[in-house]
Amino acid sequence: MKHLIPEFEKMKERYPEGFESSLVLPCLRRIQEDRGFVAEEDIVALVDYLKVPRIQVEEVLSYYTMLRRKPIGRFHLQACRNIACSMRGAEGVIAHLSRKLGVKPGQTTPDGTFTLTEVECLGSCGTAPVVMVNEAYHENMSTEKLDRLVDELAAGVRAGGK
Amino acid sequence: MPRLTIDGREIEAAAGRTVMEAATDAGIFIPYFCWHPKLSVPGNCRICVVGVEDKGGEWVEIACNMPVTEGMVVYTNSEKVRARRKATMQFITLNHPVDCGICDKAGECTLQDYHYEYNGERSISVDAKAHATKHYSLSPRIVLDNERCIQCTRCVRFTREISKSNGLGMQNRADHSLVRAVEDGSFANDPYSDNVIDICPVGALLSRSFLHKARVWYLKPTASVCPGCSRGCTVNLWHRRPEWRLRAPGMRAQNETIDRVTPLENPAVNGPWICNKGRDIAKVLGRARAETAMLKGRPAELQGAIAQARSLIAAARKPVAVVSSWASNEELAAFKAALGARFSVLVKADHEPEPGEVVQDDILIRADKNPNTAGARALFGEAPLALPPDADLVLVWGEGLDFGLIPAGAKIVYLNAWLQPENGHADVFFPTSIQTERDGHYTNFAGVTSAFTQCFPRPAGVADAQALFAALAGQAGGGE
Repeated sequence: MKHLIPEFEKMKERYPEGFESSLVLPCLRRIQEDRGFVAEEDIVALVDYLKVPRIQVEEVLSYYTMLRRKPIGRFHLQACRNIACSMRGAEGVIAHLSRKLGVKPGQTTPDGTFTLTEVECLGSCGTAPVVMVNEAYHENMSTEKLDRLVDELAAGVRAGGK
Repeated sequence: MPRLTIDGREIEAAAGRTVMEAATDAGIFIPYFCWHPKLSVPGNCRICVVGVEDKGGEWVEIACNMPVTEGMVVYTNSEKVRARRKATMQFITLNHPVDCGICDKAGECTLQDYHYEYNGERSISVDAKAHATKHYSLSPRIVLDNERCIQCTRCVRFTREISKSNGLGMQNRADHSLVRAVEDGSFANDPYSDNVIDICPVGALLSRSFLHKARVWYLKPTASVCPGCSRGCTVNLWHRRPEWRLRAPGMRAQNETIDRVTPLENPAVNGPWICNKGRDIAKVLGRARAETAMLKGRPAELQGAIAQARSLIAAARKPVAVVSSWASNEELAAFKAALGARFSVLVKADHEPEPGEVVQDDILIRADKNPNTAGARALFGEAPLALPPDADLVLVWGEGLDFGLIPAGAKIVYLNAWLQPENGHADVFFPTSIQTERDGHYTNFAGVTSAFTQCFPRPAGVADAQALFAALAGQAGGGE
């Protein structure tokens, strides 16, 4: 985390003095972006940097399910299960991904390639059902499109590329 | 100062006070779960709703977070308020397991009381209750039942605002949020952690040492003073009610044990808190007792021991007394009146800090681990504990003196309540009472005097120190 401190210092300038605890959330987001998850050493370093009680960091980490304390697979498949997506077949999408990858929502494939998660509204109801892969939206998902998506990602891994 | 009307009563409250504070000051009760007079106001339980008159109508708002204003008209029991409270109770008990039958809090539970008072009906929910962890070990001292927790966050705020350990927090969110201890273990090391058990309005936080030990309605609180340090916090010692005495063989000892210790609120000394050592003081007071007088280690009749001690005192050329800082003001005054002129008197510390114990902090805990050093010093001065080498009689009162410091050849008269190896080394030994067997007062380090009250009868064979001193001085009366 230490190498991010210059960035955190810039962030700090946007908050009134004495509001260091407001920085917990943006700092954790940045750490996760950097490492892929928030490690124990990041928590210790952040507590030391912001001078907030450790429990505040733990509370934020557990409140926001987007924040992770364990590494996940290379591709994070986040399938929306909210109303609009459900009306357009999200349950089938999740069931199909689950079957194809051989994992339940919340689990990672044994080779560490895919993590499947059910999430709440991704804000793209007009193109439901939606699956997010890392930072990218994949819209109007059907069984065929899911198969193609997963196969392409897996092939990319096998070829050693991105 | 704004004037307002609560339930038709006109009261005055300082500006900036909340309706809850103004009502409490005026003796008007408004129910609350999450509010606590010593903690910040989170306003999350919503049970303290009151009605405020406005343009012929009435709106409802929480009293704990509403500042008083001039001319405000408040109702604590209008139809609207009652309906809202009832709905709030339905909501708060939505996932409550209603396991009062096996809950230690039953009988002193705010949730139970308010349910009878403000709701009294079955749950209207048709959904299954959400389950959560039961018997979760929050620390080695505290067991947490998350199903009973109503997430008022009093315990969390206590660790942030009072004990400053920041040991507790809320994990997760919504109906699966859980009170949890911080992972670095600072809650287990918080010397004030057990206060969260008292301030928990429900049966979620439970004392492990009191777990399933007694129903509280079989117990009786006796006002006392914690002898654990010179703060002298006022406490309630809870023990079996005489009318609920256990009569079965093997159970009788429980009639005269301290089942738990809770703070007795006292703004002059400890406020509503005590430390964990105070909670465990029953272990100190419950140690094995000395119950027989002895002459050089051989059991003796009390009267014979008194006669022997009197002749030793009469024969001494340089008698020195080392008095106890665990003695009450009454006992110390009796000693001074009866024997103060005959002896040169020193004050000793009966207890020193134990290894691992918090020695002193800026909340309550004091470095002097004796309750009445100030009371003893007020009578006998500040002289350091140095026994003159030519002393030929040493009267030692209470534990904690290294007998190796007593000049060789000096006769020893020893008064002690506990069964300890030194007892047998004294020429004359008297077993004395402990504070749960008599009334008395201690004076704390700041000069505040607090009273303690007798809980149990004095065991047969144990002397009352006040009467004993009179007898040793040759005045009327014996030790019994």
